[in-house]
Amino acid sequence: MKPGIRIAIDKIFTVVAGASVVCLCLVLAGVLGPMLWRGGSAVVFKGTIEFRKMQLVLFGRGDEDKIAAESRQAEIARAKIYSTIEKFKGGIDPENLIEKARQIYRQFGNDLRQTNMSAEDVAELRSVTRNIRDRLESAFASSNTVEVNESLAYVLNFKDDPRFKNTSAAGLIGLAEQYSKDIHGINLAERQRYYQELRQVEEILVELLGPAPGSATPALMMNRFGATRWDLAQKLLGQLCWYEEWIKQGPGQPMVRRLTPRSQRFAGTEMEGLFTYIQQNLPEMLKPRPTFYWQYFTDDSTPGHYFGGVGPEILGTLLLTLLAMLFVVPFGVISAAYLVECASDNLVIRIIRMSINTLAGVPSIVFGLFGLAFFVLFFLPLFGAPSKGCILAASMTLAVLTLPVMIRASEEAIRGVPQTYKEASLALGASRFRTFVKVTLPAALPGILTGVILSLSRVAGETAPVLFTGAVALGPMPKSIFDPTRTLSYGSYDMAVGDKLAAMVPHNQFGMVVTLVLLILCLNAVAIVLRSRVFKKLAGH
Amino acid sequence: MKRLVFSLVLLALAATGLVRAETLQIDGSTTVGPIADAFAEYFMRTNPGLEITVKKTGSGDGAAALIDSRCDIATLSRFMKDKEFKAAVDHNVFPVAHAIAMDGVCIIVHPSNTVTALTTAQVRDIYKGNIKNWKEIGGPDAEIVIVSRDTSSGTYETFHEKVMNKEELAKNVEYVNSNPQAQARVKTTAGAISYVGIGFVDAEVKALKIDGIQPTKQTIANGTYPVARPLFMFTNGYPKLGSTVFKFCTFYLTEKGQEIILAKGFVPVTSY
Repeated sequence: MKPGIRIAIDKIFTVVAGASVVCLCLVLAGVLGPMLWRGGSAVVFKGTIEFRKMQLVLFGRGDEDKIAAESRQAEIARAKIYSTIEKFKGGIDPENLIEKARQIYRQFGNDLRQTNMSAEDVAELRSVTRNIRDRLESAFASSNTVEVNESLAYVLNFKDDPRFKNTSAAGLIGLAEQYSKDIHGINLAERQRYYQELRQVEEILVELLGPAPGSATPALMMNRFGATRWDLAQKLLGQLCWYEEWIKQGPGQPMVRRLTPRSQRFAGTEMEGLFTYIQQNLPEMLKPRPTFYWQYFTDDSTPGHYFGGVGPEILGTLLLTLLAMLFVVPFGVISAAYLVECASDNLVIRIIRMSINTLAGVPSIVFGLFGLAFFVLFFLPLFGAPSKGCILAASMTLAVLTLPVMIRASEEAIRGVPQTYKEASLALGASRFRTFVKVTLPAALPGILTGVILSLSRVAGETAPVLFTGAVALGPMPKSIFDPTRTLSYGSYDMAVGDKLAAMVPHNQFGMVVTLVLLILCLNAVAIVLRSRVFKKLAGH
Repeated sequence: MKRLVFSLVLLALAATGLVRAETLQIDGSTTVGPIADAFAEYFMRTNPGLEITVKKTGSGDGAAALIDSRCDIATLSRFMKDKEFKAAVDHNVFPVAHAIAMDGVCIIVHPSNTVTALTTAQVRDIYKGNIKNWKEIGGPDAEIVIVSRDTSSGTYETFHEKVMNKEELAKNVEYVNSNPQAQARVKTTAGAISYVGIGFVDAEVKALKIDGIQPTKQTIANGTYPVARPLFMFTNGYPKLGSTVFKFCTFYLTEKGQEIILAKGFVPVTSY
């Protein structure tokens, strides 16, 4: 080949290789960049007063007096919203009336129990009263004047019924009379529209500012606080101020979205000015402040990862990974040593080798099912442990999963040790075992550590093998290796498929994934540093 | 390394000697899982010392876990199958069902779609591939993108039984693995149709009336909406009265329990 062509080919090769490295970096940046960016927002963001309140309640974090003072200020700014809504709602809310009707019915049921009527009479009376209540409720809820009047007429039929005279059930009839007066001359359709849109507004407000003052404390933590983050608050503000509807076009055409300012929808009522007020005063109501939430990596979370961090997940993943390494490294190295040092090249050994190679390609879910059948259902009960998924079973399953990788890497490493090392040792009179432990193994250590690095990353990220053997979506911090644990991998999966919650807290979803990536990076970094130290030692520095 | 091994062994030994806190293991459906999660949050807050673990690996695994006595409560988004019952009895496990909530499977389309109501027969025709364009049923001129849940999910089973009459789906159906995915697919695709639990219906997708009935909490609770299903917790035998399992399985009867079920987007079982 002419030198000119050779140089040209060399150059082309250099350029192509360089370009592919650049491509790889770009792809990495393209994939990891946005993920890191969004995941980072789980830790660094603008936290609102709701966030600080949540931290105080859940983790006892922050200055109680300061937060109380701040939230009082916020409440002053919020008060106008609630008073406006209260005023507007008085006229149009059937929910209140329905609740009143139900209360009367319940009261009546209780009263009946006190009387000495026969059981049949009581049952009969109850069912009549229930009918009345149901008709009354449908009258309250309906916007069709004819229907409403029919229902009211049905109820008012019982006005002179002697059975209800002087009982609490008479209240139902009173309600009906009052209502028929109230709605006289009112456009029910319009009332219904206002009512529905007000409900929407109220729902968004609950998400934005938390439960309205005076309402009962919700059972779940996730419903007890408003928007904890400013970005979320902004999104909700958009929903609050703009009414979305889909408008029909011609036949055969899809509908188009139209946004109208909410204030227009409530034009002419007290509500009209409310939305500008909220828009202008939202920072007052939520008091956003840059927050660095480093406790994200240590905090427990509420179910569905709505609030809180990924502490238990990190702990679980670390435990599983390290324990699996503890199982796999000795087994892997010993098997590799056998394959290199002791085994001759016969059929059995070839079959073993082939099996190892095949094992490396088996899908991880197969290992998961194997772990369930073998470790959880068979192995643990042998030793008297309950046959339930736990860290031990899961880490052993992971060890089995990564054993082929470990064996292959160790085998290559041991094989790579120069024959002269061994010969020198043997010539000095060391036994074969001593030679392996004192000479071959240390020399092969960097290669074995490479195997560890490869296995670590695989083990930490696997979901399927731990699915049936020891991972849970929700559970306490593990106290021993016989407890199941939460893991980052299964947690990410759970968030992606389970609840509708994940869609509401995308930062936590990204946060968890990024934490997993970072954790693997850290573990690898440790292993790499360790390896370079071993290298240096071997080189005699 | 030696020290690490030693301390781990010590840890394991110490742990077996510890007095264990009361624990409750719950396995099963991804649909019922969030309810179990939320119940667990409330229970653990009100009973310090109680530890609850929840796994969401699917109704089938929940049943299997109950049969193997790997869990105290199995959550299922469908009733136990005959085979599972038989296997359970063979293992001396006697499953008892607690219907804790209702869920409606809503047929959803993109909000720009002009279609607002379909009959079950029409939905069946769409999923069988007989209706290919929305204009055939009074909608816009757009091809129908059919999205279904994976065939192992309880949601699919309900849909397959109640809407499809167990007939086969068309070949070009797109299968997705979860409710959020199905919802996301419809949200972003103008011609798409899919089905999700009522908790996943929001402003970004539109739930269709089926046979003239809008899926709402009322129509699902009273059984008029045709594609509804109860959600179950299964225990081995009826739990001992007053035990934690008993309290957990009957929590749906309390006001707090019903509030939680509502907050999670399901329909509580009530008749008052």
